[in-house]
Amino acid sequence: MPALLNIRNLRVQFGNFPAVDGVDLTLEAGELLGIVGESGSGKSVTMLALMGLIDAPGKVTADAVEFQGRDLLKLSARERRRLIGRDVAMVFQDALTSLNPSYTVGAQIAEVLKAHLGLRGSAARKRVVELLEQVEIPDAANRANAYPHQLSGGMNQRVMIAMAIACGPRLLIADEPTTALDVTIQAQIMALLLKLQREQGMGLIMITHDLAVVAEMAQRVAVMYAGQVVETGAVPGLFDAPRHPYTNALLAAIPEHNKGAKRLSALPGIVPGALDRPAGCLLSPRCPRVQERCRAERPALEDGVRCFFPVEEAAHV
Amino acid sequence: MSAVIEKPMEPPGPLREFWLGFAANRGALIALIVFAVIALASLFAPLIAPHDPIEQYRDFMLTPPAWDQDGSTRFLLGTDELGRDMLSRLLHGGRVSLGIGLAAVMMSLLPGVMLGLCASFFQRLLSPAIMRVMDIVLALPALLLAICVITILGPGLVNTVIAIAIGALPGYVRLTRAAALAEIGRDYVTASRVAGAGVARLMFVTVLPNCMAPLIVNATLSFSSAILETAGLGFLGLGVQAPTPEWGTMLSAARDYITRAPWVVTLPGLTILVTVLAINLMGDGLRDALDPKLKKVS
Amino acid sequence: MSELLLEASDLTRHYEVSRGLFKPKATVKALNGVSFTLGARKTLAVVGESGCGKSTLARQLTLIEAPTRGALKIRGTNAATADAATLKALRRDVQMVFQNPFASLNPRKTIATTLAEPLLINTGMTAAERRERVAALAAKVGLRPEHLRRYPHMFSGGQRQRIAIARAMILNPGIVVADEPVSALDVSIQAQILNLFMDLQDEFGTGYVFISHNLSVVEHVADEVMVMYLGAAVEVGEKRRLFAAPLHPYTRALMSATPALRKADRRERIVIHGELPSPLNPPGGCSFHKRCPLAQPRCAAEVPQLRAVEGRQVACHMV
Repeated sequence: MPALLNIRNLRVQFGNFPAVDGVDLTLEAGELLGIVGESGSGKSVTMLALMGLIDAPGKVTADAVEFQGRDLLKLSARERRRLIGRDVAMVFQDALTSLNPSYTVGAQIAEVLKAHLGLRGSAARKRVVELLEQVEIPDAANRANAYPHQLSGGMNQRVMIAMAIACGPRLLIADEPTTALDVTIQAQIMALLLKLQREQGMGLIMITHDLAVVAEMAQRVAVMYAGQVVETGAVPGLFDAPRHPYTNALLAAIPEHNKGAKRLSALPGIVPGALDRPAGCLLSPRCPRVQERCRAERPALEDGVRCFFPVEEAAHV
Repeated sequence: MSAVIEKPMEPPGPLREFWLGFAANRGALIALIVFAVIALASLFAPLIAPHDPIEQYRDFMLTPPAWDQDGSTRFLLGTDELGRDMLSRLLHGGRVSLGIGLAAVMMSLLPGVMLGLCASFFQRLLSPAIMRVMDIVLALPALLLAICVITILGPGLVNTVIAIAIGALPGYVRLTRAAALAEIGRDYVTASRVAGAGVARLMFVTVLPNCMAPLIVNATLSFSSAILETAGLGFLGLGVQAPTPEWGTMLSAARDYITRAPWVVTLPGLTILVTVLAINLMGDGLRDALDPKLKKVS
Repeated sequence: MSELLLEASDLTRHYEVSRGLFKPKATVKALNGVSFTLGARKTLAVVGESGCGKSTLARQLTLIEAPTRGALKIRGTNAATADAATLKALRRDVQMVFQNPFASLNPRKTIATTLAEPLLINTGMTAAERRERVAALAAKVGLRPEHLRRYPHMFSGGQRQRIAIARAMILNPGIVVADEPVSALDVSIQAQILNLFMDLQDEFGTGYVFISHNLSVVEHVADEVMVMYLGAAVEVGEKRRLFAAPLHPYTRALMSATPALRKADRRERIVIHGELPSPLNPPGGCSFHKRCPLAQPRCAAEVPQLRAVEGRQVACHMV
């Protein structure tokens, strides 16, 4: 059984700037992968590249992008679009701006059904209400006629999820789906996503900067920094014993791991931008364990970690 | 204390960034150069015009331009029906037309911005009154309005400016009010309030600079429409009076000579066309250069 | 020594909204009788989700709006009865850091101008004196001298928050209201900024009103915590006690809903259904009763008042 998703050496360039700089990812059917990173890590761009949503002047190259065994790079643009539209779906961060404010939510879901499944009229309407009930929206029949601005943030996010699962995708990508929501609504949406994933047997990729969310939901996690994957591993193993200095620093910085301390352990500096990418390891200007070799050479991803001198003992333990 | 590691390069200031954006638009750059030439030529008209614009050379009426076989190099662009040198009249006419345009823009921009700011900051008290008056002015066609004003005040240079300015006023008021309302809700305005800024400071120092982009674009475009209106009024005999040279009045006076001496009509017409086109292209370039900046600075 | 910096009693703010030409005006009850105190060098964390009234509270505390009812005393002076001159002086003493680092700095002004503005408006300092103070504060928050000449769009979110903090501290206020100052920042930058907040509090003795919906951040910075729901305080208490044993059902639901990294920290999920009721039409009695797992008939009829239970204040009939 080939992996559901297999990405090798994905690169996305905007002019001179490598937003994604050689990313390898795999996902099995029914697995939940968390992609963790801060702004500038390239996590969203990676998924947009997979979906074919990167427009010029962005350039996407890869050694392989295989979905269910088929190489997406070998397909024509049209075939890829059809494949992606049906079998891969994406949910975005801010539902209110992702939904069209001029159409009712029912109409927007119906549009997806018409485009990919050819459903129209009363069959489409029935399926719309079914989908809204599946995402636990109360009073679904009436709510289908509401406009996005009449619904709350949590409701809109549920509508987005309904649109995403409408065609029974094999892979659902959720890009920071709960960042803009309150914590109690976040918990509801997370539970919903988990439930749907189990029911439909989908693979789920969760992109987030919230480590705790990944720790509670994912089976595997990939940590990204400045356009590269720096560490992958199973949950909770990676969080208990991180090997890459960045993961280590990230875990050490969260308030949960600094209980009772006056100051939080903080990594100085900021993510390299377009103008100041180091020649060696991308973390070398900020890394507390940096050596001469790190400044000169770029480490490759070996055995799940991209570092010449991986961490032996976690900082927060 | 953790230090901030920064990018090594010194980023360009907003003026330089704007210029880079503007200059990238070839059409706008060429238009800028053309307009600069016209403006400078008009400004220095008394120095570079070969003749006095109102002096009539009775022996040389309707002389064709120099490239025609009957023309002479004494009158490079020929003469009009009263023997006045076309080139000198066009140059001096430029001072009048461009001058009126500029004055009209100033006279509508400054009060328009003031009214717009007041309407946005004193929403409940002033906004309905101001906006309704502006709506009434907008409901009248610009040229008709100008004709009405001139009929009341009488023709002439100053009254032409007033007439055009009144017509352009509502545009600025609406623009300013809309832009200011969008900014007032934003955090940096609240931050200035928390710092203790009074209404005057909030209006002019905090909010107004952030509303400049659409205002500048509108000012450029209304400059060109002011020139056209002046020409229109001049054509109708209501604007600038003879013998003051002005492109529109020159057009009007030459109506009867279209077939006999086409240059008397064509040259002022072409001048108006080129000037207005240059200003409009510049305005487009300005909008393109300023708008993306608005999106970047979010 | 421990003079009370802030004393809020029964702060209430209602807004009138028009619903069209023919319907009567509706009242949005954004804030309903909130009381608390704040001492020097202390941090009061205000916790709640959207719609709980924390932004309205921030506007009240920074004197941008007057309360519909209730009083606010800043270092003993009542803000409601103050004249214009006193109000201006009071305003110097309460400053604010905003949530969105990308919107809280004027895009058309250099950092130096933005930082100098409070000094220009409120003090009689000469230009040279202002420049000196701006440079001093900028250095304190980790900016370099060349940064002062630049414009906000050239900085990252974390750097802008540093600038915003420098602006808030430049008048040396007794109180800083921080409205979700780190919510929009990444974890590692968040740590830097929180450290900066703590260092400045140590040095200047500022009192913080720290609004946040992130409970782990609150647990780190707060001395006292006030949990708000639909415009009212439902639980107020000292941080350690509140986090060890939350009493109000809403507080417990919030804590259980917060994802935790370590399995040991995870609490039994208390599921609360439904969504926040509209502040235009709050439910009668306890505003939480429609979603509360402990609700009884009494909760729909009677509004619970804050009373002392186990060393803190709780507004609940069932506790």
